[in-house]
Amino acid sequence: MGEPLPSATFFLVMRRMRVPLITLIVIFAIGVLGLTLVPGRDELGNPHRMGFLDAFYFMSYTASTIGFGELPYPFTYAQRLWVTATIFLTVVGWAYAIGSLLALLRDRTFRQAVRTAHFSRKVARLREPFLLIAGYGVTGELLGRAFDRLGRRFVVLDLDQERIEALDLAPYRADVPGLAGDARDAGRLTVAGLEHPWCAGVLALTNDDEANLTVTMAAALLRPDLPVVARTASPLIADRMRAFGTPTVVNPFAAFGRHLRIALRAPATYQLMTWLESGPGAEIPPRRKPPRDGRWVVCGFGRFGCALTDDLAAEGLEVTVIEPEPDEDDRPVIVGDGSDPRVLAGADLEHAVGFVAATDNDAANLSLVAAARRANPDLFVAARQNRATGAPLFRAVAVDALLVPTEVVAHEAYAQLSTPLLWRFLGTVPERDDAWAADLVDRLTALCGPRLQAVWKVRLDDEQAPALQGRLATGIALGDLLRDPGDRDERVCAVVLLVLRGDDADVGPGDDVELRAGDELLLVGHPSARRSLDRTLGDAVVAGYVLTGRREPSAWVWRRLAAARR
Amino acid sequence: MNLEKVVFGFFVLLAATLNFGFVLGDLSDPAQHNVYELFAALVISLVATVLKFGDRTQMGAVHLATSLVADLQLVAAATVWGFVANASPGGLDEAGTAAVVSLAAGALLANAVSVVLLVAETVSFSRP
Repeated sequence: MGEPLPSATFFLVMRRMRVPLITLIVIFAIGVLGLTLVPGRDELGNPHRMGFLDAFYFMSYTASTIGFGELPYPFTYAQRLWVTATIFLTVVGWAYAIGSLLALLRDRTFRQAVRTAHFSRKVARLREPFLLIAGYGVTGELLGRAFDRLGRRFVVLDLDQERIEALDLAPYRADVPGLAGDARDAGRLTVAGLEHPWCAGVLALTNDDEANLTVTMAAALLRPDLPVVARTASPLIADRMRAFGTPTVVNPFAAFGRHLRIALRAPATYQLMTWLESGPGAEIPPRRKPPRDGRWVVCGFGRFGCALTDDLAAEGLEVTVIEPEPDEDDRPVIVGDGSDPRVLAGADLEHAVGFVAATDNDAANLSLVAAARRANPDLFVAARQNRATGAPLFRAVAVDALLVPTEVVAHEAYAQLSTPLLWRFLGTVPERDDAWAADLVDRLTALCGPRLQAVWKVRLDDEQAPALQGRLATGIALGDLLRDPGDRDERVCAVVLLVLRGDDADVGPGDDVELRAGDELLLVGHPSARRSLDRTLGDAVVAGYVLTGRREPSAWVWRRLAAARR
Repeated sequence: MNLEKVVFGFFVLLAATLNFGFVLGDLSDPAQHNVYELFAALVISLVATVLKFGDRTQMGAVHLATSLVADLQLVAAATVWGFVANASPGGLDEAGTAAVVSLAAGALLANAVSVVLLVAETVSFSRP
């Protein structure tokens, strides 16, 4: 089956029912014809032949095992002989037809076709922007929940039928269409809405690099206008993905290393970034200070350990690697199993400052963390959590930095797709110094407390800011726009993170920045501030008061009186 | 040789010929229209329709449509015949016969279109 059209099920039923139906027609025809030809007698004993209507009527109720008796007159023995034969024939025919239909309804192909048809109908009926999520594992589920809270729709394609069935039980607000299918099949992607006009983005989150690459390619070739977020743990695949358009490739190991480097260099910047990436309602993370200098011990030299070692070395830190099966390498590698106390003793943890448990086994990582802490309680400990089931245990040991690959991917994809402006802001933050970030964190917490409130964007155009159109031509100072509509000496509880004009972004703008028509603002702040600002942007009278301090009357009579008074 | 096409062609043509045989004669003379021929035409027409089930080509869909039209006309003709011959006080009179035969004549037109389609398909299907 290539691309199943919605009518595939109907055609399948018709094709499978051809033989049973023809059998039934032939049996009926023979029975009816025989009944009209076999001589009978009426109640007076005169010869009588059954008409077609009587014969068809009799056959109908006999074949369907209803049985009203011998109509219109009691049968002769010749007729009874014929009827006996047709009874057996018709019962077999009916049983065959109904049996075929039931067998078809239980047929795997048929049920898959029904499911696919149902899914593609649901997708085709979507009339709001939706995201296409290929791969609904832990990452997909995290993202699905986050987008659902935002009121965004999404469609799921996954290899595993069980995960798709779990969608129906998931507590989502909106109905989530899901299809069990291979994301490597471009036909499936099309059925899942890749070419749908309302498709707003594609996420390739399967645990198979090749499948993610295929999804990225298909999206870039069929819909070059869509934003694509793809997950991979291999730099080589990442390069191949980037050959197609401009996908956001998330490599959880590289992202963790990048974050760790930022955390080493600028703790406040790191705090700000993780906070903004966590989405609304998130508690502000504590500002940790990883040791700037000293020796680190990395246990496990797989893809993650290798990437992290490179990152730490790039920061100018000394790294000791423990690995049972090392490749030929010039790093100081201690060969052995890290869970062996003698091997760990050889790493001289007493004089190290940081320890990373980077193996791909959760139990091993937990025991490594415990052993390292025993050896040196002051160590900065980072660990990798591979499976969602281990989360409570890792929370309990309270490591200083925890890598959960699935969550890293989910956070990055969320930041990119929920508010692209925020993504842009986060990209520029590491270039600023730490004091600036610390100042911004202090301003945010002073305004809205320790929980992240709403993050939203405003475009100053006719649609979103009709009240400012006349004034934007001469420019409005940002500080004036943020005055409270109730009392213009107060400020609304919001901070502007970024002003985007055309293609150049002003990060952390001051109050004297001149705003022009078409500018986009990224704000973070209290929901009440969002409502106040919406009033300023939408109501000309409020805008006049906020920007100039004069309350212009809005009704005609008051305007006449005001003009007379002047 | 495609057996499926041959079988289908046989039934389409048979439905048309039987239908023609029934319609042939004076429109309102009951003696010139044998009801067994109508019965045979209806059964064969139904079989021809079922044979086209599940064919997803454009031609197959058009065939199915014309075949369904013929069925509809013939079922209507058979129903009218059953009513007039058994339930009406005068039995099968001239008016009743005319109604039955004209309905069957409509089916003949649909069957003729079926045959034309069949011929067109066969001619265009020219593989050396």
